Amino acid sequence: MSIAQVSNHHFLIRRVHSLLGLVPIGFFLTFHLFLNLTALRGAKQYDLVINTMQSFPGIFIVELIVIFIPIAAHAIYGTWVVYTGQTNVLRYKYARNWFYLIQRISGLYTFVFVITHVYLLRFGEANFANLSEFMSQPLGLSFYVLGVLLAVFHFTNGLWAFAITWGLTVGPHSQRVWLYTLGVIFVLMSVIGMADIFAFLK
Amino acid sequence: MSEQKTIRLKIRRQDGPNKPFRWEEFEIPYREKLNVISCLMEIQKNPITASGVKTTPVVWECNCLEEVCGACTMNINGQGKQACSALIDQLEQPIVLEPLTKFPIVRDLMIDRQIMFDHLKTVHAWIPIDGTYNLGSGPRMAEVKRQWAYELSKCMTCGCCMEACPQVNPRSKFIGPSAISQVRLFNAHPTGEMNKHERLSALLNEGGIADCGNSQNCVRACPKEIPLTTSLADLNRETNKFAINRWLRK
Repeated sequence: MSIAQVSNHHFLIRRVHSLLGLVPIGFFLTFHLFLNLTALRGAKQYDLVINTMQSFPGIFIVELIVIFIPIAAHAIYGTWVVYTGQTNVLRYKYARNWFYLIQRISGLYTFVFVITHVYLLRFGEANFANLSEFMSQPLGLSFYVLGVLLAVFHFTNGLWAFAITWGLTVGPHSQRVWLYTLGVIFVLMSVIGMADIFAFLK
Repeated sequence: MSEQKTIRLKIRRQDGPNKPFRWEEFEIPYREKLNVISCLMEIQKNPITASGVKTTPVVWECNCLEEVCGACTMNINGQGKQACSALIDQLEQPIVLEPLTKFPIVRDLMIDRQIMFDHLKTVHAWIPIDGTYNLGSGPRMAEVKRQWAYELSKCMTCGCCMEACPQVNPRSKFIGPSAISQVRLFNAHPTGEMNKHERLSALLNEGGIADCGNSQNCVRACPKEIPLTTSLADLNRETNKFAINRWLRK
């Protein structure tokens, strides 16, 4: 029962996991969805933006530190978090309980989606033609639509829990107001995401 | 002639901790305003199943019969609640009775809730006032604070929140919402506040506050309507402040 034996590593890891979801992953997701809107202006414009991005000096280091490591850490620890839960939605059919389950499903799906997405585009060839071809297959298209929607859901629903984890929304009223606000953000981000995908269908 | 009304119950039976379970159905004559306990007492008088097979009386626990002790908590139609305040007239039949699933089973509907009391010890859910001399009267508690703290003190350690929590399971060490809410209660007390650091420190450990998954089932399942999710969010804020402050002063 001695306090001296208590270690704070667990608390620290969980708080870092929560923080990574917003900084930098959430910000990166938002930036990524907005940047891809350039695809709406056609293949030439899009390829130009991608080439400019990829020719930044030291882009690999930035990607590694700001994108790859945070996402890998969040996803690997998140998978452990999923393992330590045990859903009971069939007995306790509350909306929040379903969100608890969907948060975990969307997290796992996004993990698989991001691995495939990075493998195909970052290590493969990232250009308009390549993406258009992938999207022209019904399976490829549904993989992307689901990937974007679930990633956006995971981010926005994650922000709802983030506000509780950091003690911002304490009471049920503020939690409800934040829920509705995030509902609007979810719709907006989804629309942007769908516009990104639509751009490659032409 | 009107049809003879009956109450049908389906009970999960298990003779001991590592014994196989079986389902038994019972049918007892209908009476107005019965609760689950009175049905179990009716079965105890004459333990014969609906199909006429003689069986052993069903084992269950109960004490207060007024929803303040928590001893008779069991799964009634799939939801954890007290058998004494579960009224037959409000339940769908057959009424399915099962023991709580988050605790070791003793027999039939009787389970061992010891782990919840161990968790109260882990978080120091008491106010240490023992000493070698008279410490005098403690500081006063503001009336507004007393009013919300009283709500938290209604916890009877029944286990409904543990049963509903997806984070309480054999793969996780989560101590559950009830013990965490008690930290808020004892930290709110003017004398208890003096040992605040011990309770907050305990919550930083594995199984502590960080293991909450925000499914918010606990606040819906609590028979005493304790604002458990408010306690959790409030203690998230307190533990963050405490941990950062302690680290900065190290």
